[in-house]
Amino acid sequence: MAEGETSAVAPARDSKSETMAFVVAAAGWLVPGLGHALLKMWGRAVVCFLTVGVLVMVGAGMRGNLFTSRGNDAFDSLGYIADLGTGSFYLVARLLEADGPDVSHADGDYGTRFLATAGVFNLLAALHAYEAARGRKA
Amino acid sequence: MMAHLPSIALKLSHLQALVLFALVIAIAFGFLGRRQPIERLKYILWTLLLFLLIGVGIGWAMYPFSH
Repeated sequence: MAEGETSAVAPARDSKSETMAFVVAAAGWLVPGLGHALLKMWGRAVVCFLTVGVLVMVGAGMRGNLFTSRGNDAFDSLGYIADLGTGSFYLVARLLEADGPDVSHADGDYGTRFLATAGVFNLLAALHAYEAARGRKA
Repeated sequence: MMAHLPSIALKLSHLQALVLFALVIAIAFGFLGRRQPIERLKYILWTLLLFLLIGVGIGWAMYPFSH
């Protein structure tokens, strides 16, 4: 009897936990560090937020190329996906780059890398939070 | 038309950009990858060292092709 009850309850609990993990991942993507904050991993939350923030600020300050959806080729599209990884910080970068990108100098090129790294790192952090929410060792 | 935040203009040398990038990413990896403070510190220092060594190494490896 007890075994039957357990097996009936377990899938519902798994489903709820999986939904929660998706919410945590989405929150972590949208606001860097929020996924870890929801899991009460405060140190990691602060570090994720600051890392993405610093990379975006520096990347925009160096006038890196912030890709848009109107890319010309596959590399532009990949760059757009990477930049979108920063979540809400994508808009911050757009607002910071008042004069637009300038990749005629090495600074602008480095800035492009900083921005893309911020996005890819945030995606990694969101995935990390997702795994932690599912109970995997993190 | 989109309003803009006050823009910041940064002029960093190649080495400054490399060190800043390496430092930020090493700290982030350390916090994500390890739990214990001492393990984190070791991981951060090791990652930072590798970033810098490999970055400077690749720079020197490309040097002959720049002339």
